[in-house]
Amino acid sequence: MHRRLLLMAASSIAVALSSGALAQGTIKVGFPMILSGPGALFGEPALKGAQMYVEEINAKGGVLGRKIQLIPRDTKGNADEAVRVARDLILRDDVQFIVGTLTSAEGPAVSTIARENKVVFIAPIPKTDQLTAPANLHPYVFRSASNTTIEGRTAAEIVAKWPVTRIATIAPDYAYGQDVTKAFVEHLKKIKPGVEIVDQQWPKLGEADYTPFINAQLGKKPEAVYSSLWGGHFVTFAKQAKPLGYFQALNNNFIGVGEAGSIESTRSMGADYPVGIWANTYDIFDWPDGPPAHKDYIARLKKFTKEETPSSWPVTGYIGMQFLVEAIAKAGSVESDKVSAALKGLAIDSPIGKLTMRAKDQQANHGQFWGRTRMDPKYPFAVLENVTRIDPAPFMD
Amino acid sequence: MSRRIPWVLVVALVAMWVPWLGSRFYTFLATDIAILALFALSLNLLLGYTGLVSFGHAAYFGIGAYTSAILMKTHGVPFALSFPAAGVVAALFALVFGFFCVRLTKIYFAMLTLAFAQIVWAICFKWNDVTGGEQGLPNVPYPELGWMAAIPGLGQMRAGDHFYLLVLALVAVAVAALRRIVASPYGRMLTVIRENPERAEFIGINVRLYQLSAFTAAGFFAGLAGALFGIFNRGVFPDFAYWTKSAEVLIMTILGGMGHFWGPAVGAMVLTLLNQQITSYTEYWPLILGTILIVLLFGFRGGIVGALAGLGRRLRRR
Repeated sequence: MHRRLLLMAASSIAVALSSGALAQGTIKVGFPMILSGPGALFGEPALKGAQMYVEEINAKGGVLGRKIQLIPRDTKGNADEAVRVARDLILRDDVQFIVGTLTSAEGPAVSTIARENKVVFIAPIPKTDQLTAPANLHPYVFRSASNTTIEGRTAAEIVAKWPVTRIATIAPDYAYGQDVTKAFVEHLKKIKPGVEIVDQQWPKLGEADYTPFINAQLGKKPEAVYSSLWGGHFVTFAKQAKPLGYFQALNNNFIGVGEAGSIESTRSMGADYPVGIWANTYDIFDWPDGPPAHKDYIARLKKFTKEETPSSWPVTGYIGMQFLVEAIAKAGSVESDKVSAALKGLAIDSPIGKLTMRAKDQQANHGQFWGRTRMDPKYPFAVLENVTRIDPAPFMD
Repeated sequence: MSRRIPWVLVVALVAMWVPWLGSRFYTFLATDIAILALFALSLNLLLGYTGLVSFGHAAYFGIGAYTSAILMKTHGVPFALSFPAAGVVAALFALVFGFFCVRLTKIYFAMLTLAFAQIVWAICFKWNDVTGGEQGLPNVPYPELGWMAAIPGLGQMRAGDHFYLLVLALVAVAVAALRRIVASPYGRMLTVIRENPERAEFIGINVRLYQLSAFTAAGFFAGLAGALFGIFNRGVFPDFAYWTKSAEVLIMTILGGMGHFWGPAVGAMVLTLLNQQITSYTEYWPLILGTILIVLLFGFRGGIVGALAGLGRRLRRR
C-alpha cells in the first residue's frame, strides 16, 4: 500500500519535472476564450485560428529561437470566470502574454488583471470602446479587434452612398447595440447632413418576437434600415421579418452589422436568408478579388480545420497572435515593457491585408468585410458579393 | 462538544497563514473560497435553517457588489463605509422582495425569488449610466490598506495579501455572527418553522415575519460577500446577479451539506477547487465536473459534511 503511494508520488513528480523541462525556453501565451455554451460557436474557431498560427510559426522555428506554447482556458462567458482564469494563467502557468476574451465584459475585466500584473494583453474580439478609452488605457492592453466606433462609422460610410434620406435603426437594447447605433447615426449625420432618422427600435437582447418592432418600423416608412442584431438574434429577426415583406418594402436597403453576413449566420438560415441586403463579417472564405496571401491563408485554414467552407472567426485569433509574435520579434525580447513599446505603431501583413496597431489608442485599424448578399449556386447558403474592406483609419478618432 | 471549541476562530487562525506559503496563486484561491463560503453560508440560513429554497440568492450578492463598487469607484467613498452600506442596501432589497416572496410557499416561493433576481440582473445589464451595463464596472479600487504595512511582519506583503487578511477577518466576524444567529432562540424558531410551518403557526409564531427576517438577514450577509467579491474580482458585472450564480451557490450549499453549519463553506471550497483544477486540465470540464458532482451527491447523502459526520459517529460507536 505504502509502496504504491510512494510510486505514485514519485511518478507524478517525474511527470511534473519532465513537463517543466519541456516548457523551458518556450514562450507561454494564455488564451482565455469561451469554449463552452452558446459563445463557443465563436470562441472555438477563434482558438483554432490562434492554434494554426502557432503551429505555423513553430514549424518555422518559433520567434527569437523559442517556440510558442498556447494555453487555452475556458472563460465560460463570465467576466468573473475570465478574471479567475487570467490570474490562474499568470500565476500558475507563468504565461508571459495573454491573447483572448470574447465579450465586452470579459475584455475590460481581464485588462485590469493585465495592468496589475504587467502582462501584455491583446483582445482579438471584444468591441466595446471602453476597453481602450483614455480612462481605461494602460501600457499593457491592446486590441486587434474592430470596435463599435469603427463598425458603426464604416456602415455610415456605406449608407451615405445610397440614394436614401429616411433612415431607421433597430438594435438590441444594451451597451453594444446602443454604442454601435450611436456611432452610426452621428457619423452619418456628419458626412451626409440631409439624412433624417425617422425611427429607432430597441428590442431587448434575446427578444423572441420581433413582429411588433417590425410593424412599427414599417409604419414609419423608412427608405433604409441599419441593424445591429448580431448572431442568432439576427437569424430570429430575419426569419420573422421576411414573410412580413420587410426587406421588400425597404427595397433591400438594409445593412446588418454584428457579423450578420458571416457564414455562421448565412449557413444557419440557408435559403431563408434575406438575400440582397448588406452585411458584414470578419472573414470570407471565397474572396475572388482578394490578395494571394488571403487565398493562401484560406487554403491552409481548410486543411487545418478540415472544413470545406471554414468559419469566419479563426482570423480573429490568428491576427491577435500575429500581432503578439511580430511584436516579440521586433522587441527582440519577451519583457512586457519592450513588447508593449514594440506593439505601438506596429504594422503587420495579416491575411486580410495590412493592419496597424495605432500608438495613440493601442487599437488596430481592423475593418471588416462588407458586401451585398446573394445566393451562389455553388453553396447552399448566401454569400457576399462585391466585397469591400474599408480601411477605417481615415474616420477613426 | 463543538460548542466549546470556537471553530470560527480556529479556522481563521489556520487560514491566516496562507500568504506565507509564498504563492500569490494560493492567496487568490483562499480569498475566493473565503468570500464564496460566506455567500453559501448566508444562503443556508434560508435553505438549511428556515427551509426556504431561494433560486435567486445571487440578486443580493450582486446588489452588494454593485453598491460597494459604485460607492468606491464612482463616488470615492472609503471601504469602511461602503462595505456596511453594501450589506444594508442588499438587506433593504431583500426586505422588499422578501415581503412578496414569503407570501408564497415551496416552488412558488422559489420561482418568485428567481423572478426578482432576474429583474435585478436586467437592471444591472441595462442601466448603463450607473451600472456600466453589459460591460460592468471594471477597475474597482482596492481599499486603502496602507495601515496594514505598519503591523510588524506584514510590511513586505503585496496588496493582494493584505486584502486577503482583511477578507478573512471580515468573513470570520460575519460567520461568527451567523453562528450566533442560528444558535440563538431566534434560530431555533427558524428550525421549528422549517420542520413544520403549520404547527409553528398553530403555537402562535408569526411564521411570515420570521421568514421575512431570515430572508433579510440572508440578503445582508450575501451583500457583504458581494462587496468583497467585487473588489477581489477587480470589477463587478451583471453575471454576479444572473441565475447561474444562484445555481452555483445552491450547488455549493447542497454539496457541502445544508444540515450542518459548516457544510456550505466546505461545499464552496470543494466546488472552487474542483473547478480550478478540472478547467485547467481539460476543455471537457463540464462532463467531468458534472460526473463528480453526481457521484458526490449520490454517494454523500446529506452533503460532504453530513456524510463525514455520519461516518465519524459510526466509527466512535465501535
